[in-house]
Amino acid sequence: MSEFNQSKIRNFCIIAHIDHGKSTLADRILEKTGAMQLREMTDQVLDSMDLERERGITIKSKAVRMNYTARDGEVYELNLIDTPGHVDFTYEVSRALAACEGAILVVDASQGIEAQTLANVYLAIDHDLEILPVINKIDLPSAQPEVVKQEIEDEIGLDTEGCPLISAKQGIGIDDVLEAVVARIPAPSDDVDAPLRALIFDSYYDNYRGAISSVRLKGGRVRVGDRIRMMASGREFEVTEVGAYRPLGYAPRDELRAGEVGYIAASIKDIADIRVGDTITLADRPAPEPLPGYKPVLPMVYCGIYPADGADYETLRDALAKLRLNDAALSFEPETSVALGYGFRCGFLGLLHMEIIQQRLEREFDLDLVTTAPSVVYKVNKTSGEQVMIDNPTNLPPAQEIESMEEPFVDASVITPQEFVGAIMELCQDKRGVFRDMKYIEGGRVLLNYDMPLNEVIYDFFDQLKSRTRGYASFDYELKGYVKSDLVKLDMLLNGDQCDALSIIVHRDRAYPRGRSIAEKLKEAIPRQLFEIPIQAAIGGKVIARETVKALRKDVLAKCYGGDITRKKKLLEKQKEGKKRMRQVGTVQVPSEAFMAVLKMD
Amino acid sequence: MKPLAIYIHVPFCVRKCAYCDFASFAAREDDWAGYFDALNGEIDAWAERLHDREARSVFFGGGTPSLVPAAYLADALRHLRKVVAFAPGCEITVEANPGTLNVDKLRVYRRAGVNRLSIGAQSFDAALLRSLGRIHTPGQIGEAVRMARDAGFANISLDLMYALPGQTMERWAATLDAALELPLAHLSAYSLIVEEGTEMARRVARGEAAVPDDDAVNEMQRYAVRRLEAAGLMRYEISNFARPGFECRHNLTYWSGGEYLGLGSAAHSLMDDCRFSNPPELERYLAGERRLNLAQRSASDRKEEMLMLATRTVRGLDLNRWRAEFGEDLTRSRAAQVRKLENYGLIEITDGFLCLTPVGLELQDSVVLELMED
Repeated sequence: MSEFNQSKIRNFCIIAHIDHGKSTLADRILEKTGAMQLREMTDQVLDSMDLERERGITIKSKAVRMNYTARDGEVYELNLIDTPGHVDFTYEVSRALAACEGAILVVDASQGIEAQTLANVYLAIDHDLEILPVINKIDLPSAQPEVVKQEIEDEIGLDTEGCPLISAKQGIGIDDVLEAVVARIPAPSDDVDAPLRALIFDSYYDNYRGAISSVRLKGGRVRVGDRIRMMASGREFEVTEVGAYRPLGYAPRDELRAGEVGYIAASIKDIADIRVGDTITLADRPAPEPLPGYKPVLPMVYCGIYPADGADYETLRDALAKLRLNDAALSFEPETSVALGYGFRCGFLGLLHMEIIQQRLEREFDLDLVTTAPSVVYKVNKTSGEQVMIDNPTNLPPAQEIESMEEPFVDASVITPQEFVGAIMELCQDKRGVFRDMKYIEGGRVLLNYDMPLNEVIYDFFDQLKSRTRGYASFDYELKGYVKSDLVKLDMLLNGDQCDALSIIVHRDRAYPRGRSIAEKLKEAIPRQLFEIPIQAAIGGKVIARETVKALRKDVLAKCYGGDITRKKKLLEKQKEGKKRMRQVGTVQVPSEAFMAVLKMD
Repeated sequence: MKPLAIYIHVPFCVRKCAYCDFASFAAREDDWAGYFDALNGEIDAWAERLHDREARSVFFGGGTPSLVPAAYLADALRHLRKVVAFAPGCEITVEANPGTLNVDKLRVYRRAGVNRLSIGAQSFDAALLRSLGRIHTPGQIGEAVRMARDAGFANISLDLMYALPGQTMERWAATLDAALELPLAHLSAYSLIVEEGTEMARRVARGEAAVPDDDAVNEMQRYAVRRLEAAGLMRYEISNFARPGFECRHNLTYWSGGEYLGLGSAAHSLMDDCRFSNPPELERYLAGERRLNLAQRSASDRKEEMLMLATRTVRGLDLNRWRAEFGEDLTRSRAAQVRKLENYGLIEITDGFLCLTPVGLELQDSVVLELMED
């Protein structure tokens, strides 16, 4: 690129509710601009992780550069930055948005605006992005583009005049989208001669290049051989490669300039050195101020992750370190459990994030895991006046040292068809929710607002909501703050021995039903053994629920077949293998599944 | 002279029972002569290797050894006597099915030296016998025992099965009562094992048959022990009961780790500390394949085998023998496990023997697993 002209660059992202067709539209745009030959395309190119494709969601943001010859005859450089769609990844969305000048808002022509759409639109508005509404799936019989247009005008206040009506699936209206991008989204206007300021909006690990930063240059330029500095951490590195992204790989270049989107590689090995949201500058000519908005992300949900086979501990650590590189929001540190041995306390943005990490560990690293019940972070005010944060029930100070406890509350909003309002209110009350507001919105739907304790939300709220509304309700939440609460530690005892991995912190009013339900599930999950096993749920030594696993009554091969002892040996080998997969809690053998059974809904 | 137990497999049946997964084949009369020729050939070939051995027991198992003409068995015994010395009072057993016995057969057995009959009665319940695919009726069992008695057999054993689909405690008690009417020296009571690939397994999978639950089976087992011991048949192994002195010497050899030679198709052997076996398929056996899977036992094999076999008997595992053979004291090397099992009342240590209590015998697999090295 000999001639550099910022006015021909358009940096944009696509925001949408899950399922409204974001990835399909991205695919069509890639196809249209020739960035991808048809034969190279598999469905949904940008969602490259198997997991993303399977779940139809985007977990990580990615970027791709395309050249587009517009109707005015000019060639434009389009940078499409893909953003995650789920509430757990709000911070990453906001970093990706900060890298753009505009956003395409995809709305399903039959579904209309959803809770998540609104959340992301407001984020985009906060970042001063030009928002380009696009109505998708107009080919569906249930499509009501005019109604949806009106909804967009009324609820978001966007002008829908000339808004493209498309079907990404059928390839209808894609040119209109690209023309609108060129015409309506502003070109960047960053100063090439200013000191370098590159916003990191994503990072990931490449086996050959090391840790890589996906960046948007907001000023200056960067080239191979430059010495760069991470402004938050202060660490410095020498640039080994810069370039742009192609849909299926890298396009190395001599330099990146203000207004551009691309990547920087600098032989960075230490995972902690690239933080999404940080600003990269040059060591010998640093920018006076970093770009605004960097915040270290704070996990909201914690759980213990242990290898099912203790020998896999190192593998698990390496796997977490690898995932951590691509995921600034994941935290982990070693912990030990009497029941589960050596493992890690891991912190996540939310439940979906937790589930995705667990699945990636199991699939991409072939690990067999045991996970403990998720916990939120509690504030404990001690009688000594000290305040401690607790993310693991095991670390809760003794009751007599606790003056009071606080738990995180979220502002929960549920959008639902009217017919399910009763069921949802009942559910929210069950979950200790405090009603705040109810609003009728377009399309006969209702927006409910509740203040809810996060520890109830992470239990089985999603599952319950789905089953009580047949999947029609959508849910979003935002951390509101800490509230004093009557919380207790619920312990589980197996044959009299406390099992640390099964302890949970719970509201006193919920302790009895939770204790009973966990005891019942453990009874199902723990096989009969040589002796009777009492399962007890207790608060501070007081037993509140009890179940019993009866002693094994029969475990013997009736006949030893003549001289053929091979069957008996095989049987014993099988039993021996089964025993290896068990965890020893005091005198009791507990199968790994039992620790997870506790998490299942009734 | 080193003692030896000899097993001879007769792989023929009138028809396959619903629960059976042994190497046996329905009918195939044409194969009988050829099979016994091959068997006698196998026996003869052992001549050189058995001159320092003394047979303490011979056991014709199957299959249904009583199905084929008795002369085949007599012939095999004749060949055997030529290659190995028979100890005085050598226990010679033939497994028999009630529907296949007659006075002539019994007479030939006696003349050939057979002194023990093990009769596969399974049940005295006509409906259960039918569902098991047995060829006999309850009436034929008593008839067979009386015929054997008249032919001069003093050592008669009956096999019974419990934990059968559709079997209640009452029906099991009635079967035991009927068995105890007969002049028996020995009785085996086996809990049904639903083996993969059998007709029974298919029925269970299809939901046509349901085996009683563990608690019910446990109760049947405990009842049998009480009932049989009250009648003078003392339990000496998990599933075996005998009047004093009539314990099956042949089976005791297996459990005590003694050496045995298996002849015929599918027969397993333990000789000179090596395990080997003949092919289970008739064709391969007839083609002359012998002594497959030959393997010397490792020390850990021997330990595991002694643990899992000796603890099946009421007498238990001989701790002195363990020390002599493995150079360790089991109660020390597995001290924690031994203490735990003692505390749970599953094992007892008396007079240098580690034996399982009645409850321990019900859970023998788990107990052995505890005692085994990890």
